[in-house]
Amino acid sequence: MAHIELDNITKKFNKVTALNNISLEVKDKEFFVLFGPAGAGKTTILKTIAGIEFPNEGLVKIDKEIVNLIEPAKRNVSMVFENYALYPHISVYDNIASPMRSPLYKKDEEFIKKEVYRVASMMKIDHLMDRLPSQLSNGQRQRVALGRCLVREPNVFLMDEPLAHLDAKLRHFMRAELKEMQSSFNTTTIYVTHDYLEALSLGDRIGIINNGAIEQVGTADEVYYTPANEFVARLIGEPEINIFNVDLVNDNGKLKVNMLGQDRLFQLEDEVIGTLAKHDNEIVDLGIRGTNISYSLGKEDDDYIKGIVYSLEPIGNKSVLIVNVNDELIRLIAPNNLQAKLDSEIYIKIDMKNALFFDSEDKTFIIRNNQERLIKGMA
Amino acid sequence: MAKLILKNVYKRYDNNKKKNKKQNDYAVNDYSLECKDGEFIGILGPSGCGKTTTLRMIAGLEDITSGDIFIGETKVNDLHPKERHIGLAFEDYALYPPLNVYDNIAFNLRAKKVNEEDIHKEIMRIAPILKVDDLLDSRPVGLSGGQKQRVNIARAIVRKPKLLLLDEPLSHLDGKMRQVLRTEIKRLHKEIKCTTIIVTHDQLEAMSLADRIAIMKDGKLQQFGSPLEVYDNPVNEFVAGFIGEPPMNLMTVDITKQDNELFFDFKGSDVRIGVPKRYQSIVKEGMTVKLGVRPTDLLIGNENSKGSKVKVAVFENLGEERRISIRVGQEFLTLITTEEIRYKQGDIIKLEVNAEKTHLFDIKSGERINP
Repeated sequence: MAHIELDNITKKFNKVTALNNISLEVKDKEFFVLFGPAGAGKTTILKTIAGIEFPNEGLVKIDKEIVNLIEPAKRNVSMVFENYALYPHISVYDNIASPMRSPLYKKDEEFIKKEVYRVASMMKIDHLMDRLPSQLSNGQRQRVALGRCLVREPNVFLMDEPLAHLDAKLRHFMRAELKEMQSSFNTTTIYVTHDYLEALSLGDRIGIINNGAIEQVGTADEVYYTPANEFVARLIGEPEINIFNVDLVNDNGKLKVNMLGQDRLFQLEDEVIGTLAKHDNEIVDLGIRGTNISYSLGKEDDDYIKGIVYSLEPIGNKSVLIVNVNDELIRLIAPNNLQAKLDSEIYIKIDMKNALFFDSEDKTFIIRNNQERLIKGMA
Repeated sequence: MAKLILKNVYKRYDNNKKKNKKQNDYAVNDYSLECKDGEFIGILGPSGCGKTTTLRMIAGLEDITSGDIFIGETKVNDLHPKERHIGLAFEDYALYPPLNVYDNIAFNLRAKKVNEEDIHKEIMRIAPILKVDDLLDSRPVGLSGGQKQRVNIARAIVRKPKLLLLDEPLSHLDGKMRQVLRTEIKRLHKEIKCTTIIVTHDQLEAMSLADRIAIMKDGKLQQFGSPLEVYDNPVNEFVAGFIGEPPMNLMTVDITKQDNELFFDFKGSDVRIGVPKRYQSIVKEGMTVKLGVRPTDLLIGNENSKGSKVKVAVFENLGEERRISIRVGQEFLTLITTEEIRYKQGDIIKLEVNAEKTHLFDIKSGERINP
């Protein structure tokens, strides 16, 4: 049990600023995901909470108590690393038992045995107790590392990319296993990842980190449907969201957009018109995800825009179709049996109900249709 | 440009007999493949399956133990790599650091004593296709991974090879750059129309790029077909599990009978689904088979559904799609939908299956059972 607070944390490694005035609050028993690209500062935040790194400025608080000067061992945090860091010469049982045998938390062997088996059955490794780490698969090693972290009752679990070393298929299953167990953790958890699927799946809330600063903190629905800026929008979802300039045009009193070099205007949803009309720039950026664009081999109605097939990449149950519209490459999702020759003509239609609007200069989010409902998970 | 034929090719490494106890094992075993002129072929398999060995034999970097390789009409078994007219690009870019991009691309042409004017013409033709025309004066050290790989591929195709061989060209790149370059390679193939072989362990890469995919395991060809063929009609359990992400659900099921109806009964749970009509003539009560269903072919039934009631173990909303995992014994059954649904752990749903899209495999051999 713990409530964690970072108060204006700045961390520098020589001249490089790794964390730039970060403030963050993680609630008691929350599963909080730190998500961002490599080098963003995610692991540095984790290490600052663990006490392995000391901030140059700012306060780290656990349950309102300032812990800046408290040693890592006495903060009662438990950490899992990407590379497992198991003791190679002792068995799975002894690896999991090791935190409870440390001088600080010393427990009697009977208690240890009960605890090790409780965690091991949860992690489904109870049949592997006598093996050495070298006799395990990567997935099993990761479970042992997680088990060792869960075995005592720390204030906080800190998990640094625990699934990053696994291949895509194993990662899918381990993520589900982790999610299934989540409710039994009952402990504040901070989880670092660069994989947006893990972030959306696991996080009660997600903090998106870039260049040592926080871009957005929110639920999965919030960061997916209403990304704070274009950086966040691009980081979440595959294929990457399409973002391009559009002109806002007043058409006989009604606001419309001109886009993708077309000689006609496109309707906007009523919900967004008011906000966009007040925006002080006639150019805004429009963001649209690949799942919200449809295609057709013929021009079915006026909303279809002509383009040429730039690439068609089947990826299993669907295909990524990339269409060149006046030199803007638009990525969308098509069924896997679509046959279309590269450079042949195709028509696309953008579903304006799902368009996101960003400021074309500072790239921050302005508005989208249906905003309130979506972020409450009522899509 | 040329077609490529491999005929019963074998490869055995036996130079270190003492160390390698399994010396009778072939790294490549009775491998035959026919690639049409201008085709884009993916050689796909897990690490150690012999795919890179195959590529190296085609390139002439490795001897063939037995069998024949033809490039165009020429048997190349005994031809020196130089004489095979092949362009090669490896995973690590291996650019010459002291030379700028232009000189790197020109290097092989100069070695062949092509005159500078023709070299210049060729580089100017190739550079824009690979989008390295702005980089010609730069040194490799300043380039990103994606840019280095573009230069590397430019160097491979500048000689107008009959055959372009790419060995894991994207595996050193990060996710975003990998997607961009994947598209560029697809475009490149369209522009130069050169017969191209890509070796990869990444099924997504093979599926998205290749006209046809040759899937290998333990030195043997498992299946050779278009991305849709190998996805929709995998010949065995290995291919079924290897192609597709998240993988196909592969479950051991017993065939049971109740009220004259046949069911697939999932081992270690009370989940079952009716045997689709098309299988009824080939399965019998008491048989045990492996049932394969892709996550997108599992469906959530409505109130009137006769499907088994199952408990949601995990619900994940992943933005574009939602995944539901169901516990069947020790394993997960995964269901994927793009519909806007919301569930939570413990909810009960009725499980249905897209009967036309189920696969059966022999429990012992793993071979596909066709109705």
